[in-house]
Amino acid sequence: MQNETIKIILADDDEDDRLFFIEAFEELRMKTEVTTVNDGNALMKKLDCSAEQLPHILFLDLNMPFKNGMECLKEIKNNPLLKNIAIAIYSTSSADTDVENTFVQGANVYIKKPSDFDQLKKILSVVVTTNWQYQTSGLDRSHFILSL
Amino acid sequence: MNIKALITSSFFLKSILATALFVLIFISGISYKHTSALKESSAQMLHAYEMQRELDNLIANLKDAEIGQRGYLITQDSSLLNPYFGSRSNAQKSLFILKKLSDQNEKQLNNIDSLDHLVSLRFAILSKSFTVAVNNPNAKESISESLKKGKKVMDDVRLHVERMNELETVHIKDSRIRLTNQISFTPLFTMLLLLFSIFVFIVAYLRINNDIEFFKKSNKELRLANEIKTQAEVIGSFGTWVWDLDSGNLTFSENHYSLLGLNFNPKDKHKSLDDFLKYVHKNDKQIVINESKHAFKNKKINDTFFRVVRADGALRYFHGTGKVISDLQGKKTYIGIYRDITEKQLRNIALKEKNAQLEESNKELSSFNYVASHDLQEPLRIIQTYISRIDQKEKNNLSEVGLSYFNRIRVSASRMQLLINDLLLFSRTNRIDKEFEKTDFNDSLQVATEELATIIEEKKASISSVDLPTLKVIPHQIQQLFINLIGNSLKYSKEDTAPVITITCEKVNATHYPFLKKGISEHYCKICFTDNGIGFEQQYAENVFILFKRLHHKTAYQGTGIGLSICKKIAENHSGFINATSTINIGTSINVFFPL
Repeated sequence: MQNETIKIILADDDEDDRLFFIEAFEELRMKTEVTTVNDGNALMKKLDCSAEQLPHILFLDLNMPFKNGMECLKEIKNNPLLKNIAIAIYSTSSADTDVENTFVQGANVYIKKPSDFDQLKKILSVVVTTNWQYQTSGLDRSHFILSL
Repeated sequence: MNIKALITSSFFLKSILATALFVLIFISGISYKHTSALKESSAQMLHAYEMQRELDNLIANLKDAEIGQRGYLITQDSSLLNPYFGSRSNAQKSLFILKKLSDQNEKQLNNIDSLDHLVSLRFAILSKSFTVAVNNPNAKESISESLKKGKKVMDDVRLHVERMNELETVHIKDSRIRLTNQISFTPLFTMLLLLFSIFVFIVAYLRINNDIEFFKKSNKELRLANEIKTQAEVIGSFGTWVWDLDSGNLTFSENHYSLLGLNFNPKDKHKSLDDFLKYVHKNDKQIVINESKHAFKNKKINDTFFRVVRADGALRYFHGTGKVISDLQGKKTYIGIYRDITEKQLRNIALKEKNAQLEESNKELSSFNYVASHDLQEPLRIIQTYISRIDQKEKNNLSEVGLSYFNRIRVSASRMQLLINDLLLFSRTNRIDKEFEKTDFNDSLQVATEELATIIEEKKASISSVDLPTLKVIPHQIQQLFINLIGNSLKYSKEDTAPVITITCEKVNATHYPFLKKGISEHYCKICFTDNGIGFEQQYAENVFILFKRLHHKTAYQGTGIGLSICKKIAENHSGFINATSTINIGTSINVFFPL
């Protein structure tokens, strides 16, 4: 797994968050290929175009213009070609309804954006190194919110 | 029950009447029969007496004839012969009467025939001896012969008459016995019947009297019930109507007119639906018409709501309903009731408006929650992330003053973070849609100490508790309560003393605490959190629970002034209470009361 480049997409409308995200992976020195898009429409377009180059992990912000994270999640999980992509919800909100709904829609993990860069690096490294295909705890509600 | 009693009563009266009539007819029949029998008996006796008298007459005539003839024979004086000449015709007359009297009695007729024969024979002998005596007065032998013969016949006549008399005497006797029997039986029978009739009449009288008393009582009760109904209608502002389905007559109660703003006038009664419809709001007329049609068709009246424009022009809201009742004869009648529900309706409308407003403000509140949780936190988080970036990479490039400013930025940012988090917690602490579950408070304490483990260890605090109860509460709010209260005790501890926190619990009577009297329960579970912290002046005991009220400078103790407000809200969500007692430098006790 470590030998293969891990393809990652982040969908987030906030420029600063995209910057932190990219910088965090740069500092992590992992074999990753990070792509960012700034809204839901762009994300879906990107996924449709790169059918053979699908990402391993998709980080999805919930609050985005045009098409929000929740809509993207539903669309991806209803698309047989895309439904196997591991999805990490990446949001500022930790509102119960958001957590509940994304869990029900089949997201693998819920990340509350940290306010510390080191914390961010740690979280991202855990998420990227977890093999979500075999991670059965993704079905467990109590471990859905990632906490370190 | 009353109706049943009436029916049985009238049935009873009918049978009494029938019995009485029967008895009277029976008595008249019997009396008539007896009187007829009496009459017959006396006629028979009279008849027998007449027979005897006629027989006696006959004998007397014969004797007269004999005496007259003998007198003549002895004296030869023809004047003595007078009875002799008259007696023959008299005897014939008597015989004729006897025949007539006995014309239905075969035996007596035969007797009379032989008597007639004997009488004729007697007269023949008399006339023979008389002829002999006149023609030959000296033929004594022949006369004597005739007289002897005459005497013999006369004896036969007597015998015969005697026998006939006896026969009549037997008749008389029979009649007398029959009469006696009948006469002695009649008064007893009549008496018994009369006594029975009197008994029947007395029973009937008592029963009728009873019924009359019952009717009087029922009437009184009915009048009272009517009065109650009339008054109830006025007090409860409702009206009633009765719709006779056979005759089509519609009758409204008196209060109906006041409900429509009219004065009740017996001459101007409402008699049909149209009379009523005049007052129904024009947009609701169809509702009432449809409902009355529906009611007739389905024999069922639904709840109907409609508006009425009163005679004085006021708009009133009405609610009507009714049902079909059948009386004992199976006659169907609609009875209905309608109420003026204007006040209630207006309150409902106001309540609905308020509810809508409340819903609106709740929506606003939850959107504020979202804004606070997401939009407000986002820029702050970015700031904090940049702070951590500078902290790691650029710190060395800052001057001393710059570094000091930077640290102040960092403190302020984390304080803002704390505020936002606490505020969110406070706004989420409500009881809407929250499930009450049986919760062991010992578990809640356990969760709280685990949550606060780091700071407990840091401050070397000791927490002791009695065995806590299990109550029906919102579990995570109770955990929050324990976290906040223990957290406060840890936060406001004396610098040089390790915090000692004691949790006690007791059942208290609401009457012992003035503020508990406003509560819903008579008994409360009082949980007391006591610490040995810095305490505060008792005069601020109320203030500590008010949002954003802080008793200390914010740099001295880290806090937002929200923690105890959340505790108060949690207590209130459980219909409980919270209060505080404190002494500076000794410690603070926070008491939470849960209703039992």
